[in-house]
Amino acid sequence: MPETRPAASDQIPAMAEPAAPQRESIRILVIDDEEGMREGMRRVLERRGFSVRTARDGETALRLLEELPADVALVDLKMPGIDGFKVTEHITRRFAGRTVVVIVSALATVEAAVEVTQHGAFDFLVKPFTPEDLVQVANRAAQQWRLIRERERYLSELASERNMSHQMIASMHEGVIVLNIRKEPVLMNPRAEHFLGTHFRDGITLPDLFPDLEVQAAIDAVVDESKGRPETRVLQLALGDAEAGGAAAPAVTGAWEGMLSVSVSPLMLDGERGGAIVILTDVTESWKAEQDKNRFVSMVAHELKSPLSAIINYINVILTGMFDDNPAKVREMLERCKVRGEALLDLVRDLLYINSREVGKVERSIEDLDLKAAISSQLEFFKVQTEKRRIVAALDAPLERYPVRADRGDMDRIFMNLISNGIKYNRDRGSLTVRIADAGEAWEITVRDTGIGLSEAELSRIFHEFYRVKSPKTSGIAGTGLGLATVKRVLGEYNGRITVHSKPDAGSAFTVIFPKG
Amino acid sequence: MARILIVDDDTDLIEGQKAFLEKSGYVIETALSVEEGIEKARAKAPDIIIADLMMEHYDSGFVFCKKVRDLPGLGKVPIIMQTAAPRKVGFTFEAGAAPGREWMKVDEVLTKPVPLEHLLGKIEQYLSGSKHNA
Repeated sequence: MPETRPAASDQIPAMAEPAAPQRESIRILVIDDEEGMREGMRRVLERRGFSVRTARDGETALRLLEELPADVALVDLKMPGIDGFKVTEHITRRFAGRTVVVIVSALATVEAAVEVTQHGAFDFLVKPFTPEDLVQVANRAAQQWRLIRERERYLSELASERNMSHQMIASMHEGVIVLNIRKEPVLMNPRAEHFLGTHFRDGITLPDLFPDLEVQAAIDAVVDESKGRPETRVLQLALGDAEAGGAAAPAVTGAWEGMLSVSVSPLMLDGERGGAIVILTDVTESWKAEQDKNRFVSMVAHELKSPLSAIINYINVILTGMFDDNPAKVREMLERCKVRGEALLDLVRDLLYINSREVGKVERSIEDLDLKAAISSQLEFFKVQTEKRRIVAALDAPLERYPVRADRGDMDRIFMNLISNGIKYNRDRGSLTVRIADAGEAWEITVRDTGIGLSEAELSRIFHEFYRVKSPKTSGIAGTGLGLATVKRVLGEYNGRITVHSKPDAGSAFTVIFPKG
Repeated sequence: MARILIVDDDTDLIEGQKAFLEKSGYVIETALSVEEGIEKARAKAPDIIIADLMMEHYDSGFVFCKKVRDLPGLGKVPIIMQTAAPRKVGFTFEAGAAPGREWMKVDEVLTKPVPLEHLLGKIEQYLSGSKHNA
């Protein structure tokens, strides 16, 4: 095995080179100063399918080999000029592993045979020889050449395979750490170093890499477990700020922060336990999504329980019979139960809508719509409520049409929410104005009310899910806390956006930017 | 007649409990926010306080309780917290344990909807000062 390996990029073309001697004839160079001998050998060998060139002396031979290497060289030992030994030496040095040398000589002594092999020759053919002798030696040399080529090919494949697995491990998106049977780290790829904020060095220990006792326990279990084939263990490891209780994390500057999935698998070597492979995967994103989802579910539970608590509480009060003599009071409580029950229904409806959007169950059907028509119909829908509270509703849209491409349900949801808010949070005898303006690439729709308005702190949270402005002024107003969050989300799907300007006790103006259709 | 302050941002919950507790013979004060609750606590010196946990913020109730206990004369007023929050909403609390109670300044945490009889029982228990014997 070569000490230094060429880089894989050098190896891969070598692997691809066609090295199938069986399919092409073996190239033989015959070097002999006697013409009769040269030509006789050529005839015999060509008849057996070899491809033969000849040279009359050492110089010619070396020149020919420079032009085109031979697989086998039959070298006459006794030649004028450069003798057979020198030629052999030169060939084995210059074309090592590529040309197999066979010495042809009349000096059939053991000493001579030993000497030529010491010079790098593979075999020895004694003069005089029969054509069969020649063919036999040539075949043997050809076989040797094939063996050498195959071995070379195998070695280079092996080298490039090792190189490749090394590079593969180094390029992996996952962190990889290999531990030996004594649980000492023996390999660590750059990604693992990045995650753990440690560079691999000799003598590094497992606790250096994983101070976390749970990880150590998992590794112990995989490496030490005595019975049967140990199973892969997977656990999660929080690093940096993601760590629960944060303060416990080592304050390493620039250290990686997030949630890792740590998978510890047994490393089996020839069926024996040989250590462990630890794979580190960055699962921060999905972990965060899961956290968000859990928080959302908790919020939903709370938001469902609040109105139900109020309703059940009213019913319990009624059931005590304390107010049997006061039907007006009972009726008042029942009215509130109805309002809260309906709000609960709205909440469930909004939740289902959000869920269906998330899982993509609802196919949007995009069509050419007119903003003016969509908004007018919503204003019409809320007419009873505006009239009841003497709120003056107006639509300021001078153009005939305001074309957009959108799903009708989405349009209705956006403006239903904004107009409904503009009424709910308005004052009696206030005004609600919807204005559509041209903003170049998009339409700008402003829904302006004259209601209670929003404080700075409220403005910052108004688009958050389940956020509701809670103050004595809003305490009787039913809402799901999902309306504006939904509006913002839906607008995002159209590359639209929503902003708000507001002043406490003066009113709010929500501005929607929606791309023109 | 004992005076009860109910602090909750849900008007309906307040209305229901107020109606019930008034019929049961108490004087009821109500507040819809932490701020209003502090004002009422200071002005009306209630004998017992029932407070919601999640109002403006998820922990408004704790803030409220701490502030109330710092008011002169209210350091020992019994406070019953009622909440619809599931037990794990990004924070955990253990009202049963002494350190938790000390930190939260709350005597009791009840889960909404609190059955009326149960609520009444707790109120009577704390007002009679028998909680230490209970």
